[in-house]
Amino acid sequence: MYKRYKWIVPATFLFLPVTVYLAFVIIPTLNSLFYSFTDWAGYGADFDLIWLDNFARIFTDRLFSNAIKNTATWLALAMSVPTLAGLCLALALQGKNAVNTAYKSLFYLPIALSPIIVGIIWVWIYSPQLGIVNLTLKAIGQEHLARAWLANPDTALIAVFVAWAWQQTGLNMVIFLAGLTSVPVPLVEAARVDGANYWQTLRRVTIPMLRPATVVVMALTAINALKSFEVIWVMTKGGPFNSSDTLAVFMYSESFRKYKMGYGSSIAVVLFLMTLIIIVLYFRQTAAAEELYD
Amino acid sequence: MIRVGSGKVGKPIKWSYLLGRTVLFIVLTALLIVFMLPVYGVIVTSFKSVAEVSTSGYWNLPQSLNLANFIKVLNPDDGNLGLYLKNSLLLTIPASVFSIALGTLAGYGLAKYSFNGNAALFVFMVAGMFLPPQIALIPIFRLMNDIGLYDTLWAVIIIHTAFGIPICTLIMRNFFYTVPNALREAALIDGANDYGIFVRIMLPLTRPALAVLATLQFTWIWNDFLWPFILTQRADSRTVMVGILNLTGQYSVDWGGQAAASFVASLPTLVIFIFFQRYFIRGLTVGAVKG
Repeated sequence: MYKRYKWIVPATFLFLPVTVYLAFVIIPTLNSLFYSFTDWAGYGADFDLIWLDNFARIFTDRLFSNAIKNTATWLALAMSVPTLAGLCLALALQGKNAVNTAYKSLFYLPIALSPIIVGIIWVWIYSPQLGIVNLTLKAIGQEHLARAWLANPDTALIAVFVAWAWQQTGLNMVIFLAGLTSVPVPLVEAARVDGANYWQTLRRVTIPMLRPATVVVMALTAINALKSFEVIWVMTKGGPFNSSDTLAVFMYSESFRKYKMGYGSSIAVVLFLMTLIIIVLYFRQTAAAEELYD
Repeated sequence: MIRVGSGKVGKPIKWSYLLGRTVLFIVLTALLIVFMLPVYGVIVTSFKSVAEVSTSGYWNLPQSLNLANFIKVLNPDDGNLGLYLKNSLLLTIPASVFSIALGTLAGYGLAKYSFNGNAALFVFMVAGMFLPPQIALIPIFRLMNDIGLYDTLWAVIIIHTAFGIPICTLIMRNFFYTVPNALREAALIDGANDYGIFVRIMLPLTRPALAVLATLQFTWIWNDFLWPFILTQRADSRTVMVGILNLTGQYSVDWGGQAAASFVASLPTLVIFIFFQRYFIRGLTVGAVKG
């Protein structure tokens, strides 16, 4: 067998996928970096290289700092609410029986829906007159709390977040459930035999054993949170008064509504760098976890 | 509460255990009802006319199973959802097939051949999974304009194929990794070549992995909004998720129409979810179970 043979055969398998991947994923990504140094308007071939001007500008742009602030809020909420809810549901629904199986299916059903549909549905839920939120508040005599949730700058971001979390919770539950199946049953039983109660076992055995699943959930949630666009776009388009304008939405409206594509690219680069930080942290954590278990 | 399984359990402990389970069941059921309210709302509203919604509200049961909203949203002169559904299908099926085919090739090459840089190439191919689409949005918008595919379904098909490669490569590579090498070696001795082995021996084995990927890719591509939103414009190339957002403008006060459209647009992925849930979940948890 010739030595050449060693790479020619795998190359025939890999050539097509690698080419498509390079052409339509990797090169466009690098191209975005290039556009972020230009003032391209989105039409025509004319643009100038302005190097770091876009980046200098975003840091003085009030709308950019607003988007950063909203993204930080969104991220902080995303890292806590749907992750914790997913964990609780997974713990409550672990174990095989008919009720658990049916409940699990229903809790993760929202994953099968498009974020567009999720947005449309939740717009009705928040409807000032006929939405279930305000109707419920009225029914329990708390009418003074009722408001136009999506039209109010104080509540818009949180209201949209709840809709997003509704979908994300099921996904997190699925990952935690998968993680729970890898917690050794004898370990849990040993802790019980040794006299630990449910909460002690949970805190000292189950939760620490769930560390790999937790790392995955945290990383996925953060990445999903940073790129989430659809639900926000359908529900508020970033408004009112930019109060729900996250980086992903801001990037879209600057690029495709105001045709500032060079500027939009620099926002995309910031978003990309934030994702990159999470990915690096994630790989470090998984490497650490693997060391721990090896 | 303690030592439930140890055999030395007295009656009071059993009672508290049962009580705990009952409380948990009630809490979960209440949560589930709240959690399912949005879905319930869509279904009941889709049968109501504008007049009925304004008299009885969105959350009551409909007076009758009136299909007028469904007929209206599918009507080419009204909602035109039929065209958008067809477009979504014409996009989703080829894009799923192409991404899975390319992922299968890449996964096989990476799992079964050792060459310099194999591990690095694998990480590189899978890394695309984590990219936010925003980073490639503008260059791809420009690229599709330049090569004349802007405003065609092909633009979206190509992008979903390319962006599907990471997950498909990951799942197929991990799958082929578990196929014993002895299978390949035995066939080599019998005189088969590498490609014959791939087509005749390996591909027939991939069915479970293909099922996982087919459900995942179909659901993601069908539900995606951002790419067709950026890359298409005319009604003729509009997918159902983009179309439905336009309809919410057209039907701004007609929530019954919006609900019927939402219901119809979600039906394909819901059917897949119901029948292939097992594969769907397995795909979602890839890489999640470790240690």
